[in-house]
This record gives sequence, structure tokens and C-alpha cells, in this order.
Amino acid sequence: MKSKIPSFLLERPSSDSFTQGSVGLKIPFIEKGIHHVANVIKTGYIQWETAARDSFFHRIDARIKVLFLIFFIVIVSLKNDILPEALIGGFIFSLMTIARLNIVGLYKRVFFLAFFFGFLVALPSAFNVITKGDIIIPVLRLSRPYRFWIYQIPGEIGITREGFYGVVMLTSRVMNSLALSFLVLYTTPFPEIIRALKVLRVPDGFLMIITLSYKYMFIFAKTVEDMHLAKKSRLAGQVNNVDARGWIAGRIAFMFKKTRLRCEEIFKAMQSRGFSDNIKIYGVGQLHASDWIAGVIFFLIGVLFLWM
Amino acid sequence: MKDIISLEEICYSYYRNIPAVCGISLDIKEGERFAVIGANGSGKSTLLQIMNGLLQQSAGKYLFRGIEVSEKTFRDKEFLRFFRGRVGYVFQDSDIQLFCPTVLDELLYGPLQLQINEKEAMDRAFEVMQILNIENLKDRPSYMLSGGEKKRVAIGSVLTMNPEVLLLDEPTNGLDPRTQVFLVELMLALSDAGKTLVIATHDLSLVDELHMRVALLSEEHKIVKIGSSGEILADEDSLLNANLIHEHVHYHGQAIHKHRHSHFLFHKH
Repeated sequence: MKSKIPSFLLERPSSDSFTQGSVGLKIPFIEKGIHHVANVIKTGYIQWETAARDSFFHRIDARIKVLFLIFFIVIVSLKNDILPEALIGGFIFSLMTIARLNIVGLYKRVFFLAFFFGFLVALPSAFNVITKGDIIIPVLRLSRPYRFWIYQIPGEIGITREGFYGVVMLTSRVMNSLALSFLVLYTTPFPEIIRALKVLRVPDGFLMIITLSYKYMFIFAKTVEDMHLAKKSRLAGQVNNVDARGWIAGRIAFMFKKTRLRCEEIFKAMQSRGFSDNIKIYGVGQLHASDWIAGVIFFLIGVLFLWM
Repeated sequence: MKDIISLEEICYSYYRNIPAVCGISLDIKEGERFAVIGANGSGKSTLLQIMNGLLQQSAGKYLFRGIEVSEKTFRDKEFLRFFRGRVGYVFQDSDIQLFCPTVLDELLYGPLQLQINEKEAMDRAFEVMQILNIENLKDRPSYMLSGGEKKRVAIGSVLTMNPEVLLLDEPTNGLDPRTQVFLVELMLALSDAGKTLVIATHDLSLVDELHMRVALLSEEHKIVKIGSSGEILADEDSLLNANLIHEHVHYHGQAIHKHRHSHFLFHKH
């Protein structure tokens, strides 16, 4: 073997030191994206850790918490006024405080998601092109009204009072629904949520998809991060956008192939252990008196919000 | 011989909560064969990734040839090229390491990154393919390779960069005996060629065969002992505590018999 070693491998580097450069490296977009993926793993870990803590809200049975979630999401969707929405928001906030959750971290996520899936989605409806009404913020004045497809574009375009109110309502509904979901998710271990959904007669196929997707998300994120590290270990400069796109395309194809293979293997493993389209659950105990009390209190508070 | 890698009180935790390595201090000399051994989850791979600058230690100091390696120094383009050209890393899972369309592209990726001209990069790639016996795989995509072939290509992709230090994470894991022997011979040849070899493994026979200096990691992610392979492998108590050998109970006729067991100690001759 020794005689076969190529001569270039016997060469030593010309210098043991380097000249400090003046050019710094920018963190490329792809690297930032990968860090985001890594954060997904961290978030998952934090969910597992915070869900295992001990507080008043953590101790409530998962079935009560899932029913509470569904009931309150319905209430949030039915309310048509800002005040009850704000009061519900305050109620969720106080529950989060009692559950000793990381309020700042959770609300950052709530605001981020609500901005994209609430505010931005609803924003076009604030304009008088979609929602008619009194213009409170004029934006553009045209020489004359136009007709485009099914829309009548008026001479003056602006945000209407009714439209603005609609955007605020939708955003606050999304915010409250997200905050409720995070509250339950971060105070209940994931297997408990699945067990509660099973008890509440959610179809097995749906539960299976949630469970496997949840697990695969972490495997996927870990693989993506590892692939990125492998590339980083051989990267000695900045990558141009074309190369970065090529690498991403190649890796997506690889992940797709790997996912398909893993999916087949997991299904074979499930079949070999007797999988028969049914999720079997165990250890479903009776509800304690404290769970019933909490359930009744939540129900009464919910009715109060409905009545408002 | 000068120290090429120096770690001083290195700590790293995953998610700022799960400790992976705690207070690791060690020096690796130029041209040395060094092994980090420990049970699964003891922090071997994390330590190697820190040595390759892929993970940044949460505490402690890492010096490569006396130059501090940190997030700040990696922002310097010149340092990045200097470091990546000198330290190569072979991942445990070859699948994640191979990301180019074909084997040849894979071998050319590193040298072209180091701005070595195309002709020389090509020469290197063909020479490396020759010693690794993978010339016939030149145009194949990585997903059409067997486990052993992937490992050869992964090693080749790092060798074409001609690094001074080769970090190998579980190099013989999951390989057939012939490929394992080939890798051991290759590692010895590279060591003779002056390369510094650092491997993370729990394969005690590999450590013995390569006559390495060994750092034994405990399950508490700390260094238990650093010494020659002979010294470490003879210390059965430490190996037992580090979960690298186990106590084996079985019957001889009617009599129950208990002894320490590892595949390395058991098969040693």
C-alpha cells in the first residue's frame, strides 16, 4: 500500500501559518436556512422538555386539554367583536403564565405565524377594491374607475373601516388560535395528545399520519443538518448562487429518494409486527376529580365568553 | 514534534441543555495516530466535529497549529481556506457526505474549492481512485454504490484535498472484513506518509492494530485517561466503567462462570 500512495499526498503545505485576510465571509442564505432547520429540531426538543414539566395546567388530563382546545378555538372563531377576542387572549396569556411557559419565546412564534397566516393573508381585503365602505386611509387616486375581471376598481383606492376591522378580527382569531394550540402543545407530551385524540374517536389513519410525520420531521431535519455539515467540512470559500441552487436540487432529490425508501421500510417493519390499520392504545385511566373540576371551569369560562 | 491540535477545557452541549463533551483537554502532535474511544453517546463524534470546526465549542479554547479556531476566525476567508485545506473529515454516514452527481465530481469538489487548477485536481482524483480501487466507479452516482464503495469514495473525496490531519468518525463501522482490512492498511500507509490521523471509534481492535495514542471518554462525556493503546487496553477497569467491555455470565456444565468480555479481548491472539 505504501508504495501506492500518490506523490501529492506526501507533499507538505508550504506554510504552517496564514496571512490574515481583509475580506470577511458573509453567511449565505442557504446557511441561514439550514440554521432554521436546526431550530426546528431544537423547538421539538423544547416541546418535549416543557411538556414534561409540572404545573397546574400540565397535570390536567390530555383529554380535557384537547377538548378545551377544540371548544375555545370554536369560540374564538364565533366571536365577532374585538373585546371578547382580547379577553380570550388575556385568558390564554394568564394560563401560559400559570403553566410557567417561556412567554416571550412562545409569543414571538405566535406573532410571527399570525403575521404571515393572519395579517398578510387578510390585508388585501382591507382595501375598498374587495371590502366596500368608508375609506379611512386613502392610498391611491386613479383618473377614473376601472373594471377588471370580477372586480370594480374605484377611482380612489384606500383602506376602509370595515376592511380594517375584518383584518384585525382575522389576525386576532389566528393569534388566539395559535396561542391556544401552543399552550396545549407545550404542556402535554405528544404521545398523550395522540392518545387523547384516539379516545375522542379521531380516525386512526389521521392519527397515524400525524405521528409518523411528527417523528419524520426530526429525522428529516437532522439529515438535512448533517448534509450541510458534510458540505461545510469541504467548503473553503463562498458558494455562488448557481452552485448553491444545484446543491439544493441534488439534495432534494436525494432526500426524496431516501424518504421513499424509509417509508417502505417503516411500513414493512409495521407489517412485520402485526400492523392492521388500527392504533392500539394502553393505559387510558379514569379522569380524576381535579380533571373534572378543571374541565367544568373551562366550560363555564367558555360559555361566559360565548355569552359576551 | 509540534502540537497540531490543542483543546483546552472544551465543552459543548446540544440545545444548550444536553451535555455532549465536558472539559476536554488534549494535545495531538503532528503525524500522530490518535484515537478517541468511548461508548455510544459519549461525545466522540461531537469532539471530532469541533476539531473540524463544524461545531463551535460553548466553552474552552481550540488551537490549530497555535491559531485559535473560533466562529470569528472562520469569518476570515483566508483562514477558512487554510483550515479546510489542512483538516479533512470523513463522516460516519457516507450517504450524507456524498453530494455531487458522480464519483469523479465528488473527488474534484474539494481541490476545486481550494482553487487548485483543474489539471492538477484531475490528476489527484485519478491517483486517489487508483489507490482506492474505484476507477471503475468514476461516472457512477453515489446512490448506485455499495456501503464499502461509498466509504472509499468518502475517504477519497477528502484525500484529494491532501489534508495534514484526517479526522475519521467510526471508519470501519458496518463494513465487510475485506474493506475493514483495506482501510486499516490505508490508514497505516497515510500515517507513514506523515498524515496526522484522529479516529473516533469503539472498535478496540482497530485501536490496537494501529498502535494509537488513545483518549478514553466516559459516559459522563469527560476524559478518563489518555495513554498508549497498550496502556489503555490493559486497563480493563476503566474500559468496563466506560462501557467498552462488559461482564459476561454463562454456564460451564453446572457451574456458573463470570468474566469480562469484549470482542477485542476475546479474539486477541
